[in-house]
Amino acid sequence: MKKELIELRVNGRSHELAIQPSQLLLDVLRQDLQMTGSKRGCDDSSCGACTVLVDGTPMLSCTMLAASCEGQEITTVEGVSEHGSLAAIQKAYGDWGGSQCGYCTPGFMMTVKHLLAQNPNPSEEEIRSGLSSNLCRCTGYSQMYQAIKAAIEAEQKAVPTTR
Amino acid sequence: MSLPQFRLLRPRTLDEAVGYLAKHTDKLRVLAGGTDLIPSMRQKLFEPEYVLDIRHVVELKGIQPRAGEGVSIGALTSLSTIEHSDFLRRHYPVLPEAAATVASPVLRNMGTLGGNICLDTRCLWYNQSLTWRKGCGFCIKKDGDLCHVAPGGSKCWAVFSGDTPPALLCLNAEVEIAGPSGLRRLPLREFYTGVGDAYRKLRPSELLTRVFLPEASVDYLGVYRKLRVRGSIDYPLAGVAVVLKRSNGHVSDARLAITAVNPAPLLVKGASEMLAGKVIDEALAEAVGDLAAKTAKPLTTSALTPEYRREMIRVFAKRAVLAANN
Amino acid sequence: MTDFTIIGKPTAMVDAAGKTTGAGKYADDLSLPGMLVGRILHSPFPHARIKRIDTSRAEKLDGVVAVVTGKDAPNPYGILPVGHDEHALATDKVRYVGDNVACVAAVDESTADKALELIDVEYEVLPAYFDPEDSMKAETELIHDNKPHNLEKDYHHVFGDPEKAFAEAAHVAEARFIANEVTHAAMEPHCTLASFEIDSLTGKPGRLTVWSSTQVPYYLQHKLSLVLEMQMSQIRVIKPLVGGGFGGKSEVIPLEIIAAVAARAARAPVKITYTREEVFWAHRGRPRTIIDLKTGVDKDGHITAVKARVVQDGGAYCSYGVVTILYSGALLGALYDIPNIQYDGYRVLTNKPVCGAMRGHGTVNVRFAFESQLDELALKLKMDSAEIRRRNLLKPPCITINGLRVQSYGLPECIDKVVERSGWKNRIGKLPKGRGLGIACSHYVSGAANSIIRSDMPHSTVNIKIDRDGGVVVYTGASDIGQGSDTMVAQIAAETLGCSMARVKVVAADTDLTPIDIGSYSSRVTFMNGNATLRAAQDVKKQIATAAARKMACAPEDLVFREDKVSKNHVGAGGLPALAEQGSPSPHQQSSVSGRVEGQILRGSLQQKRKDEGPKDQLTFEEAVVAAIDFHGALSGTGSYAPPAEARGGKHKGAGVGPSPAYSYSAQVAEVSVDEETGEVTVHKVWASHDCGRALNPVSVEGQIIGSVWMGMGQALTEEMVWKDGMLMNPGLLEYRSPSSVESPEIEAIIVESVDPEGPFGAKECSEGSLAATIPAIANAVYDAVGVRLHESPFTPERVLAALRAKKNAKTLNLTEGVDPTSPVRFREHGGSLWFRGKGPERHAQDPSRRESVVKAGGDD
Repeated sequence: MKKELIELRVNGRSHELAIQPSQLLLDVLRQDLQMTGSKRGCDDSSCGACTVLVDGTPMLSCTMLAASCEGQEITTVEGVSEHGSLAAIQKAYGDWGGSQCGYCTPGFMMTVKHLLAQNPNPSEEEIRSGLSSNLCRCTGYSQMYQAIKAAIEAEQKAVPTTR
Repeated sequence: MSLPQFRLLRPRTLDEAVGYLAKHTDKLRVLAGGTDLIPSMRQKLFEPEYVLDIRHVVELKGIQPRAGEGVSIGALTSLSTIEHSDFLRRHYPVLPEAAATVASPVLRNMGTLGGNICLDTRCLWYNQSLTWRKGCGFCIKKDGDLCHVAPGGSKCWAVFSGDTPPALLCLNAEVEIAGPSGLRRLPLREFYTGVGDAYRKLRPSELLTRVFLPEASVDYLGVYRKLRVRGSIDYPLAGVAVVLKRSNGHVSDARLAITAVNPAPLLVKGASEMLAGKVIDEALAEAVGDLAAKTAKPLTTSALTPEYRREMIRVFAKRAVLAANN
Repeated sequence: MTDFTIIGKPTAMVDAAGKTTGAGKYADDLSLPGMLVGRILHSPFPHARIKRIDTSRAEKLDGVVAVVTGKDAPNPYGILPVGHDEHALATDKVRYVGDNVACVAAVDESTADKALELIDVEYEVLPAYFDPEDSMKAETELIHDNKPHNLEKDYHHVFGDPEKAFAEAAHVAEARFIANEVTHAAMEPHCTLASFEIDSLTGKPGRLTVWSSTQVPYYLQHKLSLVLEMQMSQIRVIKPLVGGGFGGKSEVIPLEIIAAVAARAARAPVKITYTREEVFWAHRGRPRTIIDLKTGVDKDGHITAVKARVVQDGGAYCSYGVVTILYSGALLGALYDIPNIQYDGYRVLTNKPVCGAMRGHGTVNVRFAFESQLDELALKLKMDSAEIRRRNLLKPPCITINGLRVQSYGLPECIDKVVERSGWKNRIGKLPKGRGLGIACSHYVSGAANSIIRSDMPHSTVNIKIDRDGGVVVYTGASDIGQGSDTMVAQIAAETLGCSMARVKVVAADTDLTPIDIGSYSSRVTFMNGNATLRAAQDVKKQIATAAARKMACAPEDLVFREDKVSKNHVGAGGLPALAEQGSPSPHQQSSVSGRVEGQILRGSLQQKRKDEGPKDQLTFEEAVVAAIDFHGALSGTGSYAPPAEARGGKHKGAGVGPSPAYSYSAQVAEVSVDEETGEVTVHKVWASHDCGRALNPVSVEGQIIGSVWMGMGQALTEEMVWKDGMLMNPGLLEYRSPSSVESPEIEAIIVESVDPEGPFGAKECSEGSLAATIPAIANAVYDAVGVRLHESPFTPERVLAALRAKKNAKTLNLTEGVDPTSPVRFREHGGSLWFRGKGPERHAQDPSRRESVVKAGGDD
């Protein structure tokens, strides 16, 4: 099939790419842009390891055509770190055991980022439901709750002092 | 796992989309949220020559209340939008409640109301990879001649597994369909055929564009109950929606619909009559449950056993009626 | 000494940032120039002879570089020396739906996929065996010609006099339990990238490098060498980040060999990544198991005898099967004091994907049966469930009747802790109807005392190199698969050397660089690689001490290594004030100081200046290291670990499996509620105490305990591989239901530290032992809640409801495909029909799937 030229905006930068129309966003990110942070864990849109933000909303990059995302702003896990340093949620996941094997972690980073953007102080119930799009096989999710609480605390402390 | 190759059509307007449909008809599949079509294309259940990507047809998005005439919901409105709509929560609560149970939050960001209505029927013998289906000798819905779940018959029993259609049926929803000869409207209850492999009355050149909820269905009490193994991600294994209106403690009007146990979502016949004019109590709710269970024809299309799923239709219908009454 | 600076402190994993930023590389994230994509053709038949394979049409497809089949790599292999029954690609027969037939290497995935459709294979279908008890009756058309009755292996052990003990018991319980099949479902699908280098001398493909998602790089190197007929030294296996294993990557998985075979044929690097369905076919999970269990107790609740007959449905190849069936018997011992044991274990071949090792290898299903039956006996004795467990404690140090040496034993404290935290005494039996508590215990090995490859080689070896600036590099073969072994190794090295974690870099699991470690399985890494690391660090430390002592005019033994200082004992004893006076940054501060290199140069010149000032009471770590390098010429050390002879078990046939240098212990209380109308079980909380000897990194230990309990909960409630005539009905994460966050309960991990005499700093395993207790704890809680006793796992709502309805004498509904979950006789198959009156797949006339179906047709209405 003939390739098409598309322009994809990822993490604030534009990329001109020649891709086949059947290519999935996940494959374009991983193979054409070498952004391998987003992972493939299932083939039936159930695991959430490939989650990215499309215009700020979490979506599964394995279930979208790359060409369909033209004109939209994609944020991947590579776009979560702030100025080359760990974002609070990334640091907290490391410190609190929110990540073990780490394979699901990029997906969680995206859903948690969105969760906290929508609701800076979620209840445990809201966190639980907010995480329910992503499967993790190591942690039983427990230490993620601690990590998220720690990240919220760190953010709240950081805001008045550093800015 | 890559997708089969196809040509991608990306209309920006409904007219453009309808034009493509007319031109390519059965060589084409429509892509909205993608959460149904893309996994199925991976499994080579569909290998269309064209994919019509309607994600960016803006006119088909959004919830538009129409004074005195109910509400019109664009087919491309995401299930998340439905779930969080204050208007719908206030006036048609059963719909956002059902929408909130679909799959997972991220899948609801992607999945659309139109997609949930048009959801392909599902079966453990069908929603499998090409290699797997070779191993089972294929099935009547795709490439084979045996229905593995009802081996004696010639009918496909793949199960309709959408969560919102039972709610919409209870609300007497109508759907708008665009095609080469313009728009047509039909009650949702007439949209489904009850046959697993030709489950909906939508011609290849047509597109489901809008859903109308009538003014008459406004402010009904409503409840949706869903059987699933996990608290998220799963398709329903049985589902019951109920709406009712009361006056002076008596039911003035009620409807009950079931999903995930037949090749179509179904309004339970006789439930309205059974409830009308009555005061709801445990015994009445149980009778409605029995009626719903009789309507259910679950087979081994899904996880958990058919008998269990039928029993849950009974229990969930009873509970839904009691819950809606509270 | 318990005054540690690093051990026992919650420590972020050394590779955490790579995981949270997406920068860390897993196998599928790697690519090489000119790399091809490999895709595998799988068998659609459960049992068939391959008569002919024609790959010519596939080879002609544009973009296809190579197509390989069994004849390209005919040597058999298998993880166990006694089980070399697998081929990279089938040579004569296929033995399960999903077995590997051919592989295409092509320029991209879609080309490779198309090429698979162009491979013509002619099969002669054979009768297949799907049920182990049926399979054992087979006389002809065996799955493997050298395995009569499709019996992979059976063992019959009698310790003591069980029959006499049963005769004398006050109460005896006897029942059949069935545990259905589960799989690892690690989030990362298996992936292997294989690449040959052209040899400079011969000009031909020479050395092979393989990057693979493996728990066992060394075994992979060994099996590749066997199949490819290459020297091990010509093969380099590198383990990148691994996205979870749980045993599923603890042996050589077909794609790992196939990728290398394809790369050799294609003369280009080949990467194969499994689809999720292929992961399910590769499987190696926990076999579905029949456990016929009999337990006797005396009137005081002491267990007098246990008799278990265990049948495991092992799938089509041996894999770890011989070990699994032995663990199931051996681990009847070492938890409680049981004086008489009879064990009959049968590992049976069937035409299904291969079962292998999964978290809690061999012990989990039997423990479900045992702990459930123990509760039934407690009920007969009218004895509290916690109490009956306390009555049967071992009295270590001891050797069990089946030859297992137990030294550290934290079980009593584990039971006390969960009883206390859960409010057991005040709540058991007193919760409202529908809500209940259950208790159960479990244990696991800290590594096998006997390696699967019989030899005297150490199980782990670790090298340490220290550079002039005090940078410590640890070379370890330990495979971090997400459990945190790299971090554990760094902690032990830093603690032993008295330096900060920031100085330590871990180079791991690269067979060219790191000495042999036999892999991450059977929970052996902390104990064995930890001990090797400890010894390597002690080796280097000794060398530093010799040199430093000369500078400081004291004996090496008088030196204390702590917080990046080497001090004379009395200075060290003076403790932190002495350090504070010098204004040294704490290890933590130092690790976060940027411009560390300049600081070191500065300190280096300072050290030069002080050289002439005569003996000092204290040296910085760098000063001590420089002194050591100056004195010894280089600074490196080695340590290795092999389990002691006393821990290696008895002499009976099969005695090699079960012995471990140390056992972990776990006790759990689960609180559940049961919806009596739907049968749905909700787990509200699990209190899980685990004796890990010593918690080297509490945050990781808690994570491992919680993860184990949670995975046990999955097996207890939602996870099940559903079969129909050899077809796996749910080969994906949508239908194989690993729990989501919504139904995952709070799990309170309680660390118990028994301080093992042989573990590194007293540590034992913490990653597997807790899993087995969760299933019976939930089963026992369900009984407490609603009074039904399930003998079949998982406790899906249909099974629970069937039991509840039977108890109430409600109208019988066929909720469970004819298998009574309170008294199961056989495995349940999914309903429907694979074959019906000539329709359906081609199967042999004697294939079970062709038995005239009893399924009622739904018919046309």
